[in-house]
Amino acid sequence: MNQALTGPSLALDLPNGAYFERFGIGQEVLQKVLSAALAMGADDCDLYFEHRLSTSVALTDGKVNRASTGVDLGLGVRSRKGDAIGYSYTEDLSLEAMLSAARTAAGIAAGGETRTIAPLSALELPNYYPIDHRWEQVEMAERLPLLRRWEEGAFAADSRIQKVQAYLMDSERTILVVRPDGRIAQDYQPMAMGYVVCTAEENGVRESASYNVASRSGLELFKDEARNERMVEQAVARTTFLLGAGKPPAGEMPVVMAPGASGILLHEAVGHGLEADFNRKGVSIFSTQMNQKVAPDFVTVVDDGTIESTRGAVNTDDEGNATEKTVLIEEGVLKSYLHDEISAQHYGVAPTGSGRRESFRHAPMPRMRATYMESGPHDPEEIIRSVKRGIYCSSFANGQVQIGAGDFAFYMRQGYLIEDGKLTQPIKDVNIIGSGPAALADVQMVGTDMELDEGGWTCGKEGQGVPVSQGQPTVKVGSLVVGGIGQ
Amino acid sequence: MNDSMQDLAEKALDLTRELGADEAKVSLSRASHVELDQREGRLEKSNEAVTQGLTLTLMVDSRYSSHSTSDLRPDALRKFVSRAVDATRVLEPDPDYRQLPLDQMGQHPLDQLDLVDATGAREPKAREDIVAGLEEAVLSRKKENLISATTYLWESSSSSLVLFSNGFVGQASSTQYGLGGEVTLSEADGKRPEASAFFSARHLEDLPNIDAVADEIWSRSDETVGGSATQSDRYTLLLANRSVGRILGAALSPLSGASIWQGRSLYVDKLGERIGSEALSVYDEPLIPRAHGSRAFDKDGLRPKSRAVIKEGVLQTWLLDAYHSRKLDRDVTGGGLNNIIVPVGNRSWKEILKDHDQAIRVTSFLGGNSNPTSGDFSFGIRGQLYRNGERIQNVVEMNVAGNILDLLERFQEAADDPWMYSSYRVPSLVFEGIQFSGS
Repeated sequence: MNQALTGPSLALDLPNGAYFERFGIGQEVLQKVLSAALAMGADDCDLYFEHRLSTSVALTDGKVNRASTGVDLGLGVRSRKGDAIGYSYTEDLSLEAMLSAARTAAGIAAGGETRTIAPLSALELPNYYPIDHRWEQVEMAERLPLLRRWEEGAFAADSRIQKVQAYLMDSERTILVVRPDGRIAQDYQPMAMGYVVCTAEENGVRESASYNVASRSGLELFKDEARNERMVEQAVARTTFLLGAGKPPAGEMPVVMAPGASGILLHEAVGHGLEADFNRKGVSIFSTQMNQKVAPDFVTVVDDGTIESTRGAVNTDDEGNATEKTVLIEEGVLKSYLHDEISAQHYGVAPTGSGRRESFRHAPMPRMRATYMESGPHDPEEIIRSVKRGIYCSSFANGQVQIGAGDFAFYMRQGYLIEDGKLTQPIKDVNIIGSGPAALADVQMVGTDMELDEGGWTCGKEGQGVPVSQGQPTVKVGSLVVGGIGQ
Repeated sequence: MNDSMQDLAEKALDLTRELGADEAKVSLSRASHVELDQREGRLEKSNEAVTQGLTLTLMVDSRYSSHSTSDLRPDALRKFVSRAVDATRVLEPDPDYRQLPLDQMGQHPLDQLDLVDATGAREPKAREDIVAGLEEAVLSRKKENLISATTYLWESSSSSLVLFSNGFVGQASSTQYGLGGEVTLSEADGKRPEASAFFSARHLEDLPNIDAVADEIWSRSDETVGGSATQSDRYTLLLANRSVGRILGAALSPLSGASIWQGRSLYVDKLGERIGSEALSVYDEPLIPRAHGSRAFDKDGLRPKSRAVIKEGVLQTWLLDAYHSRKLDRDVTGGGLNNIIVPVGNRSWKEILKDHDQAIRVTSFLGGNSNPTSGDFSFGIRGQLYRNGERIQNVVEMNVAGNILDLLERFQEAADDPWMYSSYRVPSLVFEGIQFSGS
């Protein structure tokens, strides 16, 4: 007989960390699998159980006519020998299959003393994403009226809107991290996203754009009428904006970023380069800059896993370590990298709770959570007035960075030309590229208006996507290369 | 495909009928994969697993939904199907999702596609020796400014079984073998540029050997180090064969039935129209033996056929799956692209560049995106500046921008070097007078 796990639970109505008992996972089984993962002489290991339920409902052509659901269940086993990793996973939670996965992972170690396993005990975790009801308890029919209202709102807002698609995507993920030092961390991680796509037409010009709101929340996220209205208004406004927008000129020029989603600048130009695995291997451009001045005094950059209900919030990281608010750059000085256990051991520091993974099919590594720049001293209007000729970026699509070279890029979906200190022509669809360290040093003004964006950002790294948040005040960078047309 | 997979798929299909579905498609897949990373003379990461999953599409009272699960325990499967059917009933009807008639469905003979290398299986030690040998080959060409070198090996084997409730049965299986590596180098200004090369093939013997991979990694590092932006201007764009997919993908994705039907495509009113240079033809070839994108049947159970997508500059087809063909009241043409082919030219890219005063050879992209509705695009690039065939400098921190239709019109010629390691089996392509932004 399996023994029940003990300890407090945050999975709402679930008793004391026992969620995976329904799959036959108890103390005895955990001990056996841990033993197998350590049997070849590994220094350490972790077991990562995951059960994920997801639902997506779509409205197209005036009908809520499409839905999809997903069930993902499995175990990932990681064995460590120094900084070398053996990893395996299985979707079959029979003891035989789990032991097979553990033996495969254990093969990274070529021998040595077998580590003993401490008595297992559940950790008490904080709760950074309180919700009213689990998504599993929400009937499909409860989701449908939301989509219809979003569509009606979009058509009513502007007669130029020709097509509307609306999506509600939700998931709940229950994880159980088990370590040979006795730690057990169980977490229930909800996620919700509303997404509205509009297509508009005017004078033979057709454009499409979208807006989304995402959060670690239950259905109550969309019981806030102001949020629903904002989502629809933004989807419509962003679409109709494009009908009259042109391309900016090409070349180097000052770039001012609106508050909120412009945090993509930080994410790409700074955040990835501060993930400690890249620095441990010496392949990040920031690997020799700890405690050095990398930005002006008014620049402080933070990565925080504790901001309630944000996509980047985690009650525990995926190695079972406590999450935290990590100050990366303080008043312009580089203060910390983002650490998982391997990099923390390498640098002789405590993990920052940044060990994250996409699913049980992947080993954890240092990742961002909610990354933002704190507000600075400058009036946002003054920042725009300070630019003779440049561009103002108001919405963004995606970005990318080359860690070693430090080159980064982000794609501006919408913005304005700045001419003689004023916003003038609307512009669209332009890639902006620069050097991360150079851009950081060239941050000339930081506004007083920090906003954390509410959109559903997903960060990709080495084939793994994890939900993140990002934010920034209005920021002016002295010069970046704008991928426009003409001079 | 073994008997247990067949039994499980049939059981799932029977459950859909029992629980009230009018139509169903069950896909069951099983795969194994191995990945090895080697760095600093030892195995840094080993990842090995066997994976399985089941997907289900349903029509219940003319309502459509799709579902997936990795939990294949018998009691869980029944609960999964039951919930899926119940969830479908509350949706609004859309009968256009129904399956194709059986007489329109079919499968190309799997053995003719030759997607499985039955002789490629290797023992763990042999794999470890190869990835270590590749590291040794990379380091034996070591340059003074090397910071880090990592080499990679991966291989996978997968099989799937698809059962349609109308009686169509499809089977697929394939193998994939890969080898690659990356180096990080130091530069005087503190930058640490990376260069990498990765190759994959259905058959082991189609992979380059470790010396060729190591040479390619270092060759690419020569195309990367010391780069800087050059001035904003219009240049000849030479898209290196391995990087064509990024822009050609942006050009072809708005051809999907969903994009056309939703009006989110620059090709809505362009079928049969000229959309590019007369020199440009693009084909979809789904039946090339051993090719990455080859398949015996598509998601609707349609047997794929060779087709022209763009012929002499004229758009020949949209990519219509069964659902969107009904929405648009047109024949189904197949909803996805398989192997993209552009006819090979008769000159090398180096010869071609001798004819151009100033050209940028783009070898990789950084960020960027395209607007499928308007066709506007803007991508960050890395590459090399050439003048009359002579390499002047490496370029970084630059963008290339324009509109897809204008770009296709500016196509001049293809080189003689088709890339064989992805579904974009396309040679280097040359476009005249394209806007780049830099210093």
